[in-house]
Amino acid sequence: MTEATEVAAAASSRDPAIGLAGVAALRRLLESLEELQVANARAQGWSWQQIADALAVSRQAVHKKYRRTVA
Amino acid sequence: MFERFTEKARTVVVLAQQDARERGDSAIDTGHVLRALLAVPDNLALMVLEGFSVRRADLEADLAGRATAPAAAGSVEDADALAALGIDLDEVRRRIEEAFGPGALDRARAPKRHFLGGHIPFAKESKKALELSLREALALRHNYIGTEHMLLGLLHGEGAAHDVLVARGVLLGVARVIVDELVRGRRAG
Repeated sequence: MTEATEVAAAASSRDPAIGLAGVAALRRLLESLEELQVANARAQGWSWQQIADALAVSRQAVHKKYRRTVA
Repeated sequence: MFERFTEKARTVVVLAQQDARERGDSAIDTGHVLRALLAVPDNLALMVLEGFSVRRADLEADLAGRATAPAAAGSVEDADALAALGIDLDEVRRRIEEAFGPGALDRARAPKRHFLGGHIPFAKESKKALELSLREALALRHNYIGTEHMLLGLLHGEGAAHDVLVARGVLLGVARVIVDELVRGRRAG
């Protein structure tokens, strides 16, 4: 990263509109990746408990979130 | 009717439903089912298609060519927003697709999945194809329905999936023989 773009990036992150849009986009990406990986894990025979452990969340949380969309 | 479905076959049904929902389609057609079939890694249906030297990407492209709905919006803005954070969405997508196939990230990209939206029904043709997959399984004396039988059901039935598969030279009679041989060699759905 050049100094100019660094400054530009720093400046833009102070703009709430850009900063918050970045967070929102990141969250959507995270959700997509999580769903993809949970589905993949289930397809490969992982238990909900194994998936929960890997995600560092409770088994109930991951099961509740994905039981209807992921087998 | 899903009691006899293997884990992977159930995953296909779930993914087909999800795909239909995300595309804003009112019913699950055979195209959704085939796309889901192609999306589940390491399944027997994919091995059958390999037997025909049919590439997954080609079938997906064929299906996409028939689709009328535009791709999900908002991803361009997301790409810009993520770029501002130093994340290259195209690169993320490229790596995901390398492992999971084309469109994998977009497939999972469900805008706001609140389950109250309810289930999307199967279209007549895809319902028929699922029934036919049961019949194909029974004819082969298999006591479960796996992805391989779903592929046979799609081939046996009518609809987008049937048309796309047949156009690529995937024929029902030959596919049955391949399934029979594959399952004999590997006793698992």
